[in-house]
Amino acid sequence: MTRLFRLKRNRELAFVWALLIPALIIYLFYRVIPLLWNVVLSFSFWAPGKPLEFAGLYHYEEMVFFDDGFWIALKNTGVFMLATPVAISLALALALLVDQKIRGRNIYRTLIFLPYPMMVVAVGIVWRWLYNDSVGLINYGLRTFGIISEPIAFLESYRFAMISVMAAAIWQIVGFFMIIILTGLQNIPPHLHEAALIDGARAHHRFWRITLPLLRPSLFLCVILGVIASFTSFDLIYTMTGGGPGRETELLITYIYKASFTLSQFDYAAAMTVVMFALFLTLATIANRLSGGDAGKVDITD
Amino acid sequence: MATVEFRNLVKRYGSVEVVHGINLSINDGEFLVLVGPSGCGKSTSLRMLAGLEDVTAGEILIGEAEVNEVEPRDRDIAMVFQDYALYPHMSVYDNMAFSLLYRKTPKAEIRERVMETAEILGLTPLLDRRPKQLSGGQRQRVAMGRAIVRKPQVFLFDEPLSNLDAKLRASMRLEIKKLHRSLGVTTVYVTHDQIEAMTLADRVVVMNGGNIDQIGSPEEVYHAPRTLFVAGFIGSPTMNLLPARSNGNSTLSVAGQTLNVASRFTPPDEDRDLVFGIRPEDITLSAEDASGSEIEGLIDVVEALGPDTLVFVNVGEQHLIARVNPDIHPVTGQPVRLNFNIEKSHLFDARSGEALS
Ligand SMILES: Nc1ncnc2c1ncn2[C@@H]1O[C@H](COP(=O)(O)OP(=O)(O)O)[C@@H](O)[C@H]1O
Ligand SMILES: [Mg+2]
Repeated sequence: MTRLFRLKRNRELAFVWALLIPALIIYLFYRVIPLLWNVVLSFSFWAPGKPLEFAGLYHYEEMVFFDDGFWIALKNTGVFMLATPVAISLALALALLVDQKIRGRNIYRTLIFLPYPMMVVAVGIVWRWLYNDSVGLINYGLRTFGIISEPIAFLESYRFAMISVMAAAIWQIVGFFMIIILTGLQNIPPHLHEAALIDGARAHHRFWRITLPLLRPSLFLCVILGVIASFTSFDLIYTMTGGGPGRETELLITYIYKASFTLSQFDYAAAMTVVMFALFLTLATIANRLSGGDAGKVDITD
Repeated sequence: MATVEFRNLVKRYGSVEVVHGINLSINDGEFLVLVGPSGCGKSTSLRMLAGLEDVTAGEILIGEAEVNEVEPRDRDIAMVFQDYALYPHMSVYDNMAFSLLYRKTPKAEIRERVMETAEILGLTPLLDRRPKQLSGGQRQRVAMGRAIVRKPQVFLFDEPLSNLDAKLRASMRLEIKKLHRSLGVTTVYVTHDQIEAMTLADRVVVMNGGNIDQIGSPEEVYHAPRTLFVAGFIGSPTMNLLPARSNGNSTLSVAGQTLNVASRFTPPDEDRDLVFGIRPEDITLSAEDASGSEIEGLIDVVEALGPDTLVFVNVGEQHLIARVNPDIHPVTGQPVRLNFNIEKSHLFDARSGEALS
């Protein structure tokens, strides 16, 4: 034992492990084991209090061939995901704006960022009130300016429910994306813009050829966070619409929740979770490819 | 190629004035070096010429035309930055081709010019690499290539060699000099390094606190500095500058001793603070008092550099450096006589800093 610790390298390693182990234990019990259990569950028949029985691909077949609820939730999640490119474009525009030398830009930055750290449930409730047809501010505004004559129950309407929920999701995340992109903008050495200016590139050339390529890591991060948010926006949907009207705003995550905690189909819910995880991995891989690999990394020298 | 002119050029940031109305006229094809300590306004002046900073007052002319309001891209200049400012996501080829893309150059000609420039700078094998995959010296070359490929009217350099190690710096210096000789493009080069200034320049502009102290050939600023600042800034080791007073009879009182300077200048009669200047190489160590152009001191430190030897001498409160023949072997702690080559000495008014000779 003493010999083992005489080597400096071994002592350092022991120290590293000593620091890592508490976190790893928590990680093991809260992440690794549930995840593995989830995979096992997806190939089994199981209900609380019942023995585990091998089910093979039963749940997966059920999901793909017989459950249109799953397909609707999948389609809705895809639509909801379109909020990400919209939010990123908006965030990029805002970041470019507040990166200018304008008066009070720190106030704008703070205001735009503010929604992000708010509790999602609170955000959902506030937006539900904003969208309300009798007391909501949005209806009040639209009617005051004569844009509509009859109030619209946004969240109860088949036509507007999804887009209304997406608007709230964008509002909440856009500030966070803006901060990420702003950091990316400020990592671009100002000399690059000056060199391009002298080289004769006009503003739009500089945007497409310098700014955007060098923002790749930041944009990649936003895409991944956006995709994650679309798979996990349970709280927002649950407080605003609960998945309704009908199944209009039912996302995979809310559908999985209902399958497990309303219908107690834990095994079936587990199978859907595995599919969701696989989808996320696929999307993340595609995003990585599209951004040139290595999480969009560009080596900015000096 | 073109001439460049600054007329009463002023730059203010808010209420702080950093360039105080400088005048400068650069000849066609000239290699002009702006030199001065950090913060004296060299970069600011250069950036105004490039169009990257607004001109507060005064005029800048390139060729015959005033360019104060002209966009950088329309000034027909190229600039090399200290950090090179290479586009990190583009290959060496694309870095060099970038500026030609926006000048309506046909594809074939872009290719031809980039290849030609790459050949001149020895970059041909590196054309597909990214800046990150290059050494400091290679990046520096790409930055130069990007400037040359444009065939601009004026080259601007802002401390282009500061990020290189000493050896590479010396060889790039030589290369820049050769390039300028073969291309003959008007060049404005900013540096804080007086050796770069002396070796590269046709004319040196010494800046000090937002003003131009002297404009002249490297020889002129070295041998005939017009101000105390120029005298102290140009040359390494620096000129010995000693407080002095006039005795009224062609002699100066320097460090408590009397120095006969009649062969070079007549010190002013009135009693005012003066500074006597002598370069280290214009001092010899001598055994006996011969001409009255000597003072006595104690040898403090001896540094043998090889080609010559630096002798640090204390004269009363003052410290002097002499650069002497390496065959002489002075002994630390010994008294010594310093013989000044008065013909090459300088005298300044301590208050105004102006040269009196
Ligand atoms: N954008 C700026 N805002 C305020 N002051 C500046 C700015 N840029 C430079 N300065 C000041 O102007 C002076 C000259 O700077 P500069 O031209 O960069 O000096 P250098 O001779 O080292 O190149 C310095 O005192 C610097 O602090
Ligand atoms: Mg500078």
